[in-house]
Amino acid sequence: MSTGAIRTPAVRSWRDIAQPVRPRAMSRGGRWRRLMVSVRTIGAVLGVAALGASAWYLLTSVSPKAGDVRPSAKAGALRRLELRTSAGGVLDEVWLRNTLALPAGVTLMELDLSRLRARLLRDGQVDSAALSREFPDRLVVRITERSPVARVRVESGPAPRDLLVAADGTIFQGAGYDSAMIEGLPWLAGVSLVVEGDGFRRIPGLTPVAQLLSDAQFAALSLYRSWVSVSLARLESDREIEVATRNGSTVVFSASREYFGQLAKLDYLVDRLANTPAARVRIDLSYGRNVPVRIDAPDVAPAAGPRGATRPPAARPVFSILPPASPQRTSP
Amino acid sequence: MSSRTTFIGAVEIGTSKITVLIGEHTGRELAIIGRGECPSRGVIKGAVVDYKAASECTHRALELAEREAGERIDTVFLAQTGSHLEGFYNEASVNVKASDNMVEAGDVRTVCELAKAKELPHGRMVVHHIRRPFRLDGRLVPGSPENLVGQRLEVGYWTVHGLEQRLADTIHVIRGFNLEVGELVLSSLAAGHMVTTPEERQNGVLVIDIGAGTTDYALYRDGAAHTTGVVAVGGSHLTNDLSIGLRLKEAQAEKLKLRHGRADVVTRERMQKVWLDGTFAIGDRQFPQQAIEQITAARTQEILEVVKARLGNAFSPETCAGGVVLTGGTAKLPGIAGVAARVFGVPAHLGEAPTWIGENLRDPGYHTALGLLYCGVGHRSERLAGRGQGSGFLSGLRKLFSNS
Repeated sequence: MSTGAIRTPAVRSWRDIAQPVRPRAMSRGGRWRRLMVSVRTIGAVLGVAALGASAWYLLTSVSPKAGDVRPSAKAGALRRLELRTSAGGVLDEVWLRNTLALPAGVTLMELDLSRLRARLLRDGQVDSAALSREFPDRLVVRITERSPVARVRVESGPAPRDLLVAADGTIFQGAGYDSAMIEGLPWLAGVSLVVEGDGFRRIPGLTPVAQLLSDAQFAALSLYRSWVSVSLARLESDREIEVATRNGSTVVFSASREYFGQLAKLDYLVDRLANTPAARVRIDLSYGRNVPVRIDAPDVAPAAGPRGATRPPAARPVFSILPPASPQRTSP
Repeated sequence: MSSRTTFIGAVEIGTSKITVLIGEHTGRELAIIGRGECPSRGVIKGAVVDYKAASECTHRALELAEREAGERIDTVFLAQTGSHLEGFYNEASVNVKASDNMVEAGDVRTVCELAKAKELPHGRMVVHHIRRPFRLDGRLVPGSPENLVGQRLEVGYWTVHGLEQRLADTIHVIRGFNLEVGELVLSSLAAGHMVTTPEERQNGVLVIDIGAGTTDYALYRDGAAHTTGVVAVGGSHLTNDLSIGLRLKEAQAEKLKLRHGRADVVTRERMQKVWLDGTFAIGDRQFPQQAIEQITAARTQEILEVVKARLGNAFSPETCAGGVVLTGGTAKLPGIAGVAARVFGVPAHLGEAPTWIGENLRDPGYHTALGLLYCGVGHRSERLAGRGQGSGFLSGLRKLFSNS
């Protein structure tokens, strides 16, 4: 027979009697005794707490900490704001002061560097920023800037705004740039802009376009200067980039092939077509070796004179601002 | 064994007085460092009938003891008496499981559980389970039968139980002093442990503790308590008889009992008289000595005969070689040992505390409290030694009473 198999009746022992402490059933001595037990318990708890606090105080006072290091210089009011920007950067200290908007008389130690950095990064032109205090009174700001590769026109508010687009698709206002340089940038077309916060969401997939513009600037500057707009309308679907030129012609690049070869063909064709009277020319470089060229005859016979005189005015593509939920494509 | 010092309070709430002893137990030795006594109120025949009065005097005694000891009591060992305490014997047997007939721990555990598992009437609670020696195929096994070879293992328990309300009342008196009752020990067992030797308990001895309101008895056999009981008659009945017989106030009768009372009649001169106060003042009067002795002797003999009747067949002179040991306040009555010897037919003597007990605590009135302390120490040692084996106090006490 195993012990587990035995079922014995539960026999109640005197130990089952509850021993509660009821104040009304206690004598004065009992109450005093209970009070003393409580006092002793509280005293013990306090004693342990005091010991713990003492130990903590000793540990913290003995162990070295940064705050205990005697400062070599006393932090005073901020006097100098120094901007160190990346190569080719155009931002200056005036922009920095306006962007940081520091209160007058602020001391170096009062500056919240992380908040100031966030404030700088809110400007899309700033790619990265690092701020450091240099005692006693100098704040050094190191930034790297984004360079614009194209521009877009946004119709928001009473007047349209021209914004710049960086190679990574960031859209920013742009400050400190030479107006001639801005004027030389092609317009971006066939792209949807989505509002995000105070600005616009970064345009995705702009890298092939940026690469094309960069290669064109490097290898065929004269061609690049003739470009008015670059369309992304068929980039995602056909991997084609459509470039509109100042004379109304259209050049189609393949984003799947390297650009130098395409630019070389374009240069050759432009030279060959230089003396051909045409209103518009469409050169499609996306087919590879064969390049179809469509030449539209001019509607009206051109008058004698320089070609530039008959050139239609460069049409600036216009974009409309779309709500974030339903982005729509617009064509220039 | 823990080296932490524990202050144990042994509390005996008696009908005439409340006794508290404080023992300082260091793990190796026990020193009695405090004593407190207070006349009892609110207690009749060992039962609390007036909670407030009983609490007041018990707490007073506790305070006195703590003051004398200069320490605070950690736990209390409380003596329990009263006519509500009863006992019964129950035994069980199991067949040894192992194929080689060697007794295993499981067999011992099973037979013990079966022997203890007897349902009690409603409202009653177990105070003690006192184990009698094991028997293996009929032969007595004084110790543990484990690893002995046999087919049938038997054991019996003398279970002492009492009324839940009465037990709770005495416990609550102690709780009223914000102390917890650690152990509850039968008065007769506590006193018996103090006034008998292990040899006497092995050979058989009857301990009778005659208090003021109750008479507790414990019959030992084979080293363990065989039968216990409480008779709701004590020294106060002698006082009452004197009061009625001689037409005295209770206090006067008590005084007369203490000064001139005897358990037997030795005065032959019927005209020999004794003074009530001995001051020869107005109100002091004379009483016949023989009458006093006749009254006290008759009641003393009656008490002892009641005890003998209660024991019934459990007691026989052949199995009680140790004789009768008398203790308690009323045991100080001159001639009581002779009367007990005559009633029980065995030698009788007054119980004495061991020689290492101090002179101030050798009075029979302290035997129960002293026994409580040493029971507590024994229990504590047993419990610490056997921690994790589920033996508990009852096992420790059982061993203490059966083997020590």
